Amino acid sequence: MIPAQFDYKAPATLDEAVALLNSDLDGAKILAGGHSLIPAMKLRLAQPQLLVDIARIKSLAYIREEGDQILIGATTTHYQLESSDLLKQICPLLPECAKSIGDVQVRNKGTIGGSIAHSDPAGDWPAAALALDAGLVLVGPNGERVVKAENFFVDLLTTDLQPGEILREIRISKPSGKFGHAYQKVPHPASGFAVVGIAVNLKLNDDGSCKSAGIGVTGVGVKAYRAQGVEAALAGTNLDDNAIDAAVAHVCDGIDPNSDLYASSDYRCHLAQVHTRRAIQAAKARVR
Amino acid sequence: MKLEGSHELGAPRERVYQCLVSPEVLQRCIPGCEKLERTAENTFAATIRTGVGSIKGVFNGTARLEDLREPEHLRIVVDGKGAPGFLKGAGDLDLAATENGTKVNYTADVQVGGTIASVGQRMIQGTAKMMATQFFTSLAAEAKTAVGEPPPQHGFFRTALRWFSGWLQRTIRRLQK
Repeated sequence: MIPAQFDYKAPATLDEAVALLNSDLDGAKILAGGHSLIPAMKLRLAQPQLLVDIARIKSLAYIREEGDQILIGATTTHYQLESSDLLKQICPLLPECAKSIGDVQVRNKGTIGGSIAHSDPAGDWPAAALALDAGLVLVGPNGERVVKAENFFVDLLTTDLQPGEILREIRISKPSGKFGHAYQKVPHPASGFAVVGIAVNLKLNDDGSCKSAGIGVTGVGVKAYRAQGVEAALAGTNLDDNAIDAAVAHVCDGIDPNSDLYASSDYRCHLAQVHTRRAIQAAKARVR
Repeated sequence: MKLEGSHELGAPRERVYQCLVSPEVLQRCIPGCEKLERTAENTFAATIRTGVGSIKGVFNGTARLEDLREPEHLRIVVDGKGAPGFLKGAGDLDLAATENGTKVNYTADVQVGGTIASVGQRMIQGTAKMMATQFFTSLAAEAKTAVGEPPPQHGFFRTALRWFSGWLQRTIRRLQK
């Protein structure tokens, strides 16, 4: 329970943090909220030589509306997202997802950027980022690039972040027209991580039919993914029970569901179907 | 924990088999393998530095090849340990000749213990799948070279393959829309 020895630096700016990270690509690791990294270090599963703490860079924590975009700084905590009146108004999926994460201590300290960059297969934010088709702004020694959430999650704990890059900002197109959001989760009773977690972002036409759906699924595969089979099956329907039932059958398409002591892969896939149905129904009921 | 899967390799069965029993090729294909030495007939000592994300560890262990029936079957018995935990198990590999090359089916029964099993239980299977895919991707590239030819650059191959599969997926998605 005592980590191996490491150095600690708390840079004042993001540029300094990028430089520090690039000074030791093998041994340096970014520390944000630390709710995944620190336990791994205490168990000596991770032994970084240098921690670069970006949680103290004040200018990295913000929630802003800019034109038709919502901009969220990487070190914005789960609690800040949960309690944001702006987000409750314009993008309720984010506060709802934040509310389901861990416990009060975790939400006070853990960050959205840390969760996305870590890409835990049962993390909640990746599902929300996928459902909202978020853009992720990565900054490295050669400048910035923006990666779609869909292309960001590569494999188990593996993302498109290259060594030396830091996730700086999450960009979301402000939902417009008639839309409904919902996040449904089955938390693991001990860890609070998602056994399955389903984020739904429904867009409706004026006549009430489904214009498009964004469905992010976490906990089921080795990484969070967009359930494209469900999205395609919902588009154009009037979202009645038959249409929803037909669509949710596709939630595990192309995925080899995780199996562990708590949930076998068949059970997990079943849970995913049930909760995708509930999430779609909840999102539909909240359309405004 | 039971693991099973299959991978298609675009090379003849005899060549794939040779690669699977060659310590040099295996060392290049096993993700993070730093050392693989023959210690006795069909027995090897290995040092593997591997991990996913920030979780990394060094493992030392032995691997023994059994039940060698060239070119269709072999069994690998492994026993290893490192700071994060230990691993013990055996796997059967069956090679079948197909139209385009070789299909390798594997089934393994592996016990994982120690810290990694108590806290990382929900990720062990995912890690195993990911490493198997990396291994067979490299092995496919190796098996395509002839004996004596220089080995492929895995860094490049992996990057190219990842890029290509991403491109393919995006194209298919676009066509579906």
